[in-house]
Amino acid sequence: MNPYAESAERVALRKAVADLAAGYGRGYFSERARAGEKTTDLWADMGKHGYLGVAVPEEYGGGGGGIGDLAAVCEELATAGCPLLLMVVSPAICATVIARFGTDEQKQRWLPGFADGTRTMAFSITEPDAGSNAHKITTTGRRDGDDWLLTGRKTYISGVDEAESVLVVARTEDARTGRLQPALFVVPTDAPGFEWKPIAMDLLSPERQFTLFFDDVRLPANALVGAEGAGIAQLFAGLNPERIMAASFSTGLGRFALRRATEYVKTREVFGAPIGSHQALAHPLAQSHIEIELARLMTQRAAALYDAGDDAAAGEAANMAKYAAAEAACTVVDRAIQAHGGNGLASEYGLASLLAATRAGRIAPVSREMVLNFVAMHSLGLPKSY
Amino acid sequence: MNIVVCVKYVPDATGDRRFNDADHTVDRVGVDGLLSELDEYAVEEALKIVEASDGSEGEVTVLTVGPEQAADAIRKSLQMGAHKGVHVLDDAIHGSDAAATSLLLAEAIKKVGAESAWDLVICGMASTDGSMSVVPAMLAERLGVAQVTFGSEISVTGDMVSIRRDGDTATETVEASTPLVLSVTDQSNEPRYPSFKGIMAAKKKPVETWSLADLGVPAEQVGLAAAWTKVDASAARPPREAGTIVTDEGDGAARLVEFLAGQKFI
Ligand SMILES: Cc1cc2nc3c(=O)[nH]c(=O)nc-3n(C[C@H](O)[C@H](O)[C@H](O)COP(=O)(O)OP(=O)(O)OC[C@H]3O[C@@H](n4cnc5c(N)ncnc54)[C@H](O)[C@@H]3O)c2cc1C
Ligand SMILES: Cc1cc2nc3c(=O)[nH]c(=O)nc-3n(C[C@H](O)[C@H](O)[C@H](O)COP(=O)(O)OP(=O)(O)OC[C@H]3O[C@@H](n4cnc5c(N)ncnc54)[C@H](O)[C@@H]3O)c2cc1C
Repeated sequence: MNPYAESAERVALRKAVADLAAGYGRGYFSERARAGEKTTDLWADMGKHGYLGVAVPEEYGGGGGGIGDLAAVCEELATAGCPLLLMVVSPAICATVIARFGTDEQKQRWLPGFADGTRTMAFSITEPDAGSNAHKITTTGRRDGDDWLLTGRKTYISGVDEAESVLVVARTEDARTGRLQPALFVVPTDAPGFEWKPIAMDLLSPERQFTLFFDDVRLPANALVGAEGAGIAQLFAGLNPERIMAASFSTGLGRFALRRATEYVKTREVFGAPIGSHQALAHPLAQSHIEIELARLMTQRAAALYDAGDDAAAGEAANMAKYAAAEAACTVVDRAIQAHGGNGLASEYGLASLLAATRAGRIAPVSREMVLNFVAMHSLGLPKSY
Repeated sequence: MNIVVCVKYVPDATGDRRFNDADHTVDRVGVDGLLSELDEYAVEEALKIVEASDGSEGEVTVLTVGPEQAADAIRKSLQMGAHKGVHVLDDAIHGSDAAATSLLLAEAIKKVGAESAWDLVICGMASTDGSMSVVPAMLAERLGVAQVTFGSEISVTGDMVSIRRDGDTATETVEASTPLVLSVTDQSNEPRYPSFKGIMAAKKKPVETWSLADLGVPAEQVGLAAAWTKVDASAARPPREAGTIVTDEGDGAARLVEFLAGQKFI
């Protein structure tokens, strides 16, 4: 098989998702977001067709595919103008971590719901004093008999109001050495002692971000995912898919903006000819097309490496893909708006709201500076700067 | 209940459709094609009927007559949930008219029936390229079974099929017993999107490719030379002219009426 071409099944999956999403589209998305409503019906529709569970193992009712398939679904939704942000966390991070490291009981309990989209799990790592620097996480789980007591604070956590539970990155205290080790806990959103409140964001999105407070939240022993102390490996297992998904989210939004712009410059006439005949507009769009396609290629490569089990190589590729995709998306939205003139900022054309949406891709889930730090150090062997 | 669905591979209507300069047939090779959208309703209807008769071992076979790429139409149907496919493929078929197409479909259906009897043949209401709506009727004639066309609501009880047909002035409900050739409209159902499992499962479903020799059809009976009709000339549709924009300066309504009356719309 040609490694530079996607399989016939992947192509068919993209087409099926694109066809379904076309029935919703940007208008639907913006309307819901402006009204403060969710896109739950789109989520359910996607789940029903198995598109949210493509990467869940078949024995748990999933599609048995890989992150490459899930990323394709995410990208096609964004390309249709109706991205589902929670795809980046629920099926990509949470389902992956549980499928790879959960106990049999945890898999039985959670995976079927990820397979058909009926279960949503948010993911929380960011803390007020530990964003880019995940080593400074202070949310801690303490043993209390067989139970755990979780205390700490998280911020900018997406979709908590839509989720049944949150996968929380915390630390546990090693009883013998007193050292803190990373650990992952599943916390129900209605657990006593767990409070969350929305952060006012200037983003047009049905999903909201929240600050979370855990005050001695009592959790049963089986709330800890996988082994105690195996946390770091588990975390990275989930973070590579997250980056691949974030990249796909960006390339999808980029393709959406580029398509809008190309259609517009073909028909809009100002000096007696379509404005697309001016290279001042045509070349930037052509450049964007190249940038987006390059980012897509790197994203697919990262997914292929990850699905082939090469976590280390996937990590580097996923970071590069995330970086390239976010840059391409921010740039194309700016160019698309410019090509639209005043219309570029009108709600009707659906582009101005993408300024913030694509901009978020430069910050989350990992900032562009941190990706550059990573590449400088790991790919180029330059001194550590983080 | 075993059902054969006839599906056509057609040039993508959203793409740039062309005629072949040499023989004025539709260029089916050089352009992107897909499963005729109207045939998705036929596939959906067959799947619904088989799924509704739970317990009984019903199978949906999709059948296409077309070039190499027509396999895409079969694949899409298998992804939707059909069980197996038959592709009638032979260079001599190029240029076949509706009569020859129906002959090939009929012979292929007989061959399918020789392996396991079928109860229903379901077609779309028309292809989206030729759109003659004649193949189902010709097919029923060749198979020697009843035909009910343009069904907009279908229900099956035992071997009786009840079909609603919506006409311009009346709606009628027709009952027919199997075996039967049926064509269904775009009002009959809402075709499903292939699920991810459907897409993956389609890879493993059997597709047979039959040539003219396999069907026992002589090459002289099909193809352009055997066609009863011939396209003498074809021309591209002239480019669409820029529309008239009426700027409302207080007299917008009057000017709209003037325009519509001028074009004899009102
Ligand atoms: C829309 C949105 C949704 C989010 N959803 C989630 C979620 O669901 N779950 C979750 O856990 N988090 C979520 N986040 C949080 C996101 O992951 C963090 O915002 C991100 O990791 C950056 O952390 P920070 O905001 O604390 O920035 P900081 O770490 O404070 O960084 C501030 C700036 O300093 C730069 N910087 C820091 N250190 C260095 C260095 N060594 N060298 C160079 N530059 C440096 C950064 O690049 C950045 O530009 C979300 C954020 C947004 C915007
Ligand atoms: C531009 C153009 C040029 C043509 N030129 C000629 C010509 O020069 N000479 C000539 O004789 N004919 C010509 N034809 C006719 C062409 O061959 C017909 O399209 C074909 O025979 C089937 O008729 P139809 O597409 O109208 O099908 P319809 O009768 O509209 O189809 C109804 C249903 O029959 C089934 N069906 C139809 N075709 C197939 C198939 N191939 N495989 C499986 N199921 C099928 C489908 O279920 C479909 O929904 C031309 C058609 C076009 C569009």
